[in-house]
Amino acid sequence: MVSFENPGQIIDALERQQYVAESEFATAIYLLLKLHKPLLLEGPPGVGKTEIAIVLARLLNTELIRLQCYEGLDVNAAVYEWNYQKQLLGIKLQEGSGLSVEEKEKHIFGHDYLLERPLLRSIMATDQPPVLLIDELDRSDEEFEAFLLELLSAFQISIPEIGTIKAKHKPLVILTSNRTRELSDALKRRCLYHWIDYPDLEKEMRIVKKHLPGIEENLLKQVVHAVQQFRDRKLVKIPGVSETIDWAESLLALGYRDLNAASFDQTLGCILKSAEDINQVRAENVDVFI
Amino acid sequence: MKKQQAYATGSITESIVAFAQFSRSHGLNIGVEETQEALLSANYGLFMQRDLFKSALKSIFCHSPEECRIFEKLFLLYWDTNPVDMQEQNRKSSVIGVVEKKTNASLVMLGRGKFEEDSDEGKNISGSNETERLKKTDLSGLSSMETRTLEEIARKLFHQMSLRLRRRMKDSQRNGRINLRRTIRRSIGYGGEPLDLLRMSRHPKKTRLIVLLDVSGSMDKYSYFLLLFICALRENFKQLEAFIFSTSLIRISKALQRGSVNRVLAIISEQAENWSGGTRIGSSLQSFNEKYGRQLLNGSPTIIILSDGLDTGSPVLLTDELKKMHCRSKRIIWLNPLKGTRAYAPTARGMQAALSEVDDFLPAHNLNSLLELENMLAYAG
Repeated sequence: MVSFENPGQIIDALERQQYVAESEFATAIYLLLKLHKPLLLEGPPGVGKTEIAIVLARLLNTELIRLQCYEGLDVNAAVYEWNYQKQLLGIKLQEGSGLSVEEKEKHIFGHDYLLERPLLRSIMATDQPPVLLIDELDRSDEEFEAFLLELLSAFQISIPEIGTIKAKHKPLVILTSNRTRELSDALKRRCLYHWIDYPDLEKEMRIVKKHLPGIEENLLKQVVHAVQQFRDRKLVKIPGVSETIDWAESLLALGYRDLNAASFDQTLGCILKSAEDINQVRAENVDVFI
Repeated sequence: MKKQQAYATGSITESIVAFAQFSRSHGLNIGVEETQEALLSANYGLFMQRDLFKSALKSIFCHSPEECRIFEKLFLLYWDTNPVDMQEQNRKSSVIGVVEKKTNASLVMLGRGKFEEDSDEGKNISGSNETERLKKTDLSGLSSMETRTLEEIARKLFHQMSLRLRRRMKDSQRNGRINLRRTIRRSIGYGGEPLDLLRMSRHPKKTRLIVLLDVSGSMDKYSYFLLLFICALRENFKQLEAFIFSTSLIRISKALQRGSVNRVLAIISEQAENWSGGTRIGSSLQSFNEKYGRQLLNGSPTIIILSDGLDTGSPVLLTDELKKMHCRSKRIIWLNPLKGTRAYAPTARGMQAALSEVDDFLPAHNLNSLLELENMLAYAG
């Protein structure tokens, strides 16, 4: 596994993976790697919270395990589940075998019949710690959060039929939240914290440039400038960085070399995702944005 | 004595530990573990560069954007204060702002300012008839003695209501999904035939409630009880988000988590500067949409607005903002205390504007009308 001596090296390494991070963020990641403490990332949608986990896994050359949270997510979907169909078959197959009930039970509650879900998988890694991404934690219920608390402090999971499984390598945990609800203080205390905000003009230009190396300086500047303008407006859905990239990419694909009134109007749907927003922006003079 | 500045300490370790204490005393949630991690991070060489060290401490000590802001100030104050500039002053107030209790303000705000004067009228009212009468009495027409009796009844009834809501959720177990895990386990004894089908309770889908309470002058008589009501709702709907508004909007969800109504009142009065003025429902909802809408209106929350609809702002704005909320929520319930009066018709400009975007328009003038909301909420999920 790659190891880093200081946050500066992390910035460089991320840069090579097309991810632009400033020193504060790199320090947080550095501590995540050193202290093995989960890192909680908060911020508006589309600023690269999920992306960092993917990039980090690639960087460390390790497995990425992702758990997408949603309302009603329960332990069965997040930790483990028994393979019931297989168990039913297993019981049938054993019918004539003369095994005792205890033996049969032991057999069908063995590892062969266990479906590992992301959380269990993350602590069962044998060779090196995987990156565990718990995405949009704020969407899950409080109960699940409480369960997670237990996992994040002990890194072990108990399965009644098998026993307790303890992590050989503590996974590198990255949690993301859009703040649709406040996470509990207990959970936050177990985590390092970093707030990712929308990037400023210069940083966003660098990000887009990383993803679209072929883009011309002029178009790049125009696009990012316009997006930054959009973010100052009171829009229903504020465009994230990924949308900026989409937009620039669309303009490139359509063969535009600069952002003029026509191309602006034609591709507005790539960057603004609601009718009200589009109307609001159209009502203004195009010159403001270009 | 606690060290307030880095220069006052003797070693790096000591300054970091003292900084942790300093931050803790200013409201950051820092325990021994965080302090240890801060020391560890210094040990990893992060101490050599000021910016890196600051970022490291920040990610360890802070857990929200608000805390990050406090941290910035604390960091400056602690590490950068020059002994020459040093003056004895109360650091706490300079960092977070003066926090004073204004209990009286809260009473005035909620129309109970005159309470103290006639609290001696020791008439003891009891008996079920009285209770029934009070439940139907319009909240604005109560004498102060009755107010107190009713408050007790209300607490009891609201509590029962939230218990009932919870029980109802538990009852739905019978027609849940089959619990394959248990069924299979049981079936081993029958040679693999799943004779007993064991079921599991359906996970009660939790309704997310967002409550907006109007606390303007015209609502004075009602707002205290409505606040009690919101507290009771919070018992059951853990994901409740509550706001109060008159000319501006304030989030009180955090305050409600503390539980008691009086604490909430104290906190509200700390935050509310110019209270009981006019009502600008439209612009309050607008600031709700701007600040919180994107975060809170993502799933399918039920929104309850408690207001009399006497709006001094523009009705067009109100309709527009309600429309935005409407298309991002499951339903909007508007509870209007005035609807209880017999001759009432929603003629107020604001109310008229709002009606088209409201799913349920219900009265909220007495306890009974509030309790009737129970049925609606029980099936809202």
